[in-house]
Amino acid sequence: MRAAVGFRLRLALFFVATLVTVQLLTAALVYGVTRRALVSEGERQLAVNAQAFVAQMDDLSARVAGNVEVMALDYALRSAIAERDHGTVYSVLRNHGRRVGASRLQLVGLDGLVEVDTADVHASGQRFAFPDLAEHAFERRTAAVVALQAKAYWLVVVPIYAPQPVGLVVVYVPLDDKLLAHLRQLSALPGDIELAVRSDASGWVAAAQGLAHTGLVASQAGQGLPMRPAMRLVDGHEYLVLAQPLSQPHSSTPVVAVLGYSLGDALRPFHSVVIAWAMLLALGLVVGLIGAWLTARSVSRPVESLAGAARRIEAGDYRALPSLDRRDELGQLAAAFGTMADAVRQREERIRQQALHDQVTDLPNRVAAETAIDRARDAGTAHGALLMVGLTRVPDIIKTMGHGLYDRLMREVGARLGRVAANAYLARATDTQFVAWLPEADRTEAAAAALRILDALNAPYAEADVSIDTLPAVGIAMHPEDGALASVLLRHAEVAQFTATGSTRPLAFYDAATDPHRAERLSLMGELREALDHDRLLLHYQPKLALAGRRIDGVEALVRWHHPRRGAVPPQDFIGLAEDTGNIQRLTRWALAAGIAQASRWHAKGLALNVAVNLSARDLEEAELPGRIARLLAIHGLPPERLTAEITERAVIGEPEAAIRVLKGLADMGVGIAVDDFGVGQSAFAYLRYLPVSELKIDQTFVRHLAQDASDQIIVRSIVELGHRLGYRVTAEGVEDEGALEHLAAIGCDHAQGFFIARPLPAAALSGLAVEWVGAT
Amino acid sequence: MRWRVVVAWLLAGSAGPLWAGQLLVRVSDAGGHAVGNAVVTLTPESPPAAAAPEPVTRYVDQRDETFIPYVQVLRPGDRVVFRNSDGTRHHVYSFSEAKAFEFLLRPGESSPPVTLDQAGLVAVGCNIHDHMIAYLLISPAPAQVTPSQGQVVFEHLPPGRYTVTVWHPQLRPGQTQPSAVATVGAGADAQRADFSLSLVPDPRGFADREHLDY
Repeated sequence: MRAAVGFRLRLALFFVATLVTVQLLTAALVYGVTRRALVSEGERQLAVNAQAFVAQMDDLSARVAGNVEVMALDYALRSAIAERDHGTVYSVLRNHGRRVGASRLQLVGLDGLVEVDTADVHASGQRFAFPDLAEHAFERRTAAVVALQAKAYWLVVVPIYAPQPVGLVVVYVPLDDKLLAHLRQLSALPGDIELAVRSDASGWVAAAQGLAHTGLVASQAGQGLPMRPAMRLVDGHEYLVLAQPLSQPHSSTPVVAVLGYSLGDALRPFHSVVIAWAMLLALGLVVGLIGAWLTARSVSRPVESLAGAARRIEAGDYRALPSLDRRDELGQLAAAFGTMADAVRQREERIRQQALHDQVTDLPNRVAAETAIDRARDAGTAHGALLMVGLTRVPDIIKTMGHGLYDRLMREVGARLGRVAANAYLARATDTQFVAWLPEADRTEAAAAALRILDALNAPYAEADVSIDTLPAVGIAMHPEDGALASVLLRHAEVAQFTATGSTRPLAFYDAATDPHRAERLSLMGELREALDHDRLLLHYQPKLALAGRRIDGVEALVRWHHPRRGAVPPQDFIGLAEDTGNIQRLTRWALAAGIAQASRWHAKGLALNVAVNLSARDLEEAELPGRIARLLAIHGLPPERLTAEITERAVIGEPEAAIRVLKGLADMGVGIAVDDFGVGQSAFAYLRYLPVSELKIDQTFVRHLAQDASDQIIVRSIVELGHRLGYRVTAEGVEDEGALEHLAAIGCDHAQGFFIARPLPAAALSGLAVEWVGAT
Repeated sequence: MRWRVVVAWLLAGSAGPLWAGQLLVRVSDAGGHAVGNAVVTLTPESPPAAAAPEPVTRYVDQRDETFIPYVQVLRPGDRVVFRNSDGTRHHVYSFSEAKAFEFLLRPGESSPPVTLDQAGLVAVGCNIHDHMIAYLLISPAPAQVTPSQGQVVFEHLPPGRYTVTVWHPQLRPGQTQPSAVATVGAGADAQRADFSLSLVPDPRGFADREHLDY
């Protein structure tokens, strides 16, 4: 968007700048040319006006002279002059002077002396001030401008004939503001006219100003008056100024007519042109801006639309692009965009297909299943069942038959599932697990579906020369009882499936109570660590009865935990947890310390009791274990033969070499090594050969029904014989009745352990029992 | 404007007879053209004791709104009569010091004779027709009016020194009259005097003065 606006703005700015520049250049050019033309026109007009002014003055003088000449023909005047009647002459002159607009008249005699002066009664007898004017008065009309007391006068000299020349009448017409204004009005000369008189003191002084009172002369004080048209500043305005000399007697102070030509006035008619031009410029700007904006929009609109389409593609919306019906570059770009979007859409579909589908079975994968289930739930599916179908023999199949066959097998499984669970949403959750989501299904329907699936999968998979049993197991999690989120349902279904896998029934519903992965177990672990730190656990001891002497000579130490809130926590709950979470070593360390301490106390009391402590597989990975046990024994002063380490066969299988090294170290010290739960684990007779075993403990499953079950009797007897042959002592666990005890004693078993002899007891309770047991039987 | 008088004396040969002398005076303007209507007065240094001649009566006619003659020389004591020969009235006047008068003459009427006792110039005008001017020069000394050729000859002059004075209506007002001293010898050879006058326009053109291009 910003880019588009920027483009529009730039284009508009470019238009405007170009338009304004061109217009301004044109305006400057036109102004320059016009101004030059006006200046030269002004110079010409000034010259013409100056001549016109002179001509006007001549006209004026002719008019004045004509008037005076008529006056001079007056008989009375002539008679008065001829008879030197000065009083009469004075009055006549004054009378006529008013008529012709003169401010002063003089009668000058032929001798050049003033005879009568209307302005000065005492002037008679004085010499006429401008004799050169009088000299030619009889030859031609004589008129000139003179300056008197810084005022300008137009002098007209008229001869008087009576009938021969008898004198001259000199008329003084004042060249004042009024006259100049009158002249200007008559002639309509443009510009202004002033008269300037040169005064010695201050250069030129204005003697009269025209209508406008421009101050032409005053503004030029100190720089002289131009005799040719020149540009001068008058009151801040530009004027062409020309000083026109006037006809003057030699004896007069110089007087010039100053003509001004206002450039501003001359330019005034062009103001309308300027306004029109400015309006045209504004109009051009508006039109140009609109045009630029429209042009830019025709470009930026599709660009913006393409940008919007690109953002939609970015967001995953591949809907049809706005079609640009244009043949230009933008059209091509839009077309390229369209094909690109198609390509991206196809590629994305392929990637999504790959990401959400299993390539082997072409079923959705777990992620897709979770999404689908969540979406179904959001869409209003109130309840449903999630079936997790596990194939337990898969690792064996891959190892045996290879991946090719395995993939074919999985495809077949998928196909079978599709056939028997047509209404279900099927997905492949992991390599070995399939998921079937049954919306709206209740427990019964879920179980029925699970059974159908099991039926379908139990039929062996057959290929040319192989036939494979997949051993399926189904776990079921119900929605919403077992969880709302698909991920939770999946986990719970998997837990249920593991349960089913481990049991005889290949079908199990999720049971929160037996779920070993429940969240509260994690908090239990934290509390176990705290109990260890604060020594809140304790050891109970289950006696072992020596069958030969019918006396208690050993105990198995078993950890008990009285949780302050939960009460007694079953050992299978927290021991497995400790194993899973890596805390078993701390538990073992505590049990060893507590067991050895108790054994040494018994030893100090004179009770000869062997204490057996269980070690886990993780404990056997610890190379320093023998050293630590040796230190504990030394601290408590307990002979090593009073301690027995009980291990399971499983514990050795993980890291055989390390475990054997640890066990040998213990055996070398004199600590006894007992193999617990013998007979039910994955028998590892091979390892047995290498283990420094001193005792075998027959698992209670063989012992519990020993009195009645003949096969158990055979197994137990065989184990006892085998143990004795290998040099081991043999202990039977889970002895719960007298018959079993007697049978064990009969076949020569060394020790018996079980509820029939005694439950695990606190140390204090055991002290007495160890002494009394013989008497109780 | 200044005027210039060029006087050239041309002395011809030996002295003439004692009883006879001749003076030729030429008057021209600045352009060298002959000037008529100029009055040349010849005043001897020692005036002759001859008795004054009888006074005569002269006429100034008015015809076609013109005084005829324009310039006339009279001797003191002569009389002048103004005669109106036009069909209009004429108001003949003079303010001159030598003689002032005023007559209103009907057509065909003549004025009474005016006796001009005093030497001097009498300028005569018509108050009705400004362009009508006539000059009467009253001189005791011999004087002649130049014809249009601009030349006059004084004959039978006794030898001696003479002052030659020239006057003309168009002489610049206020200027002293040009004059020269001529010595007339006893011989018969003529003496010559040339005057070049600087003249102003003819005042008789008064009526057209406004239209003069000057």
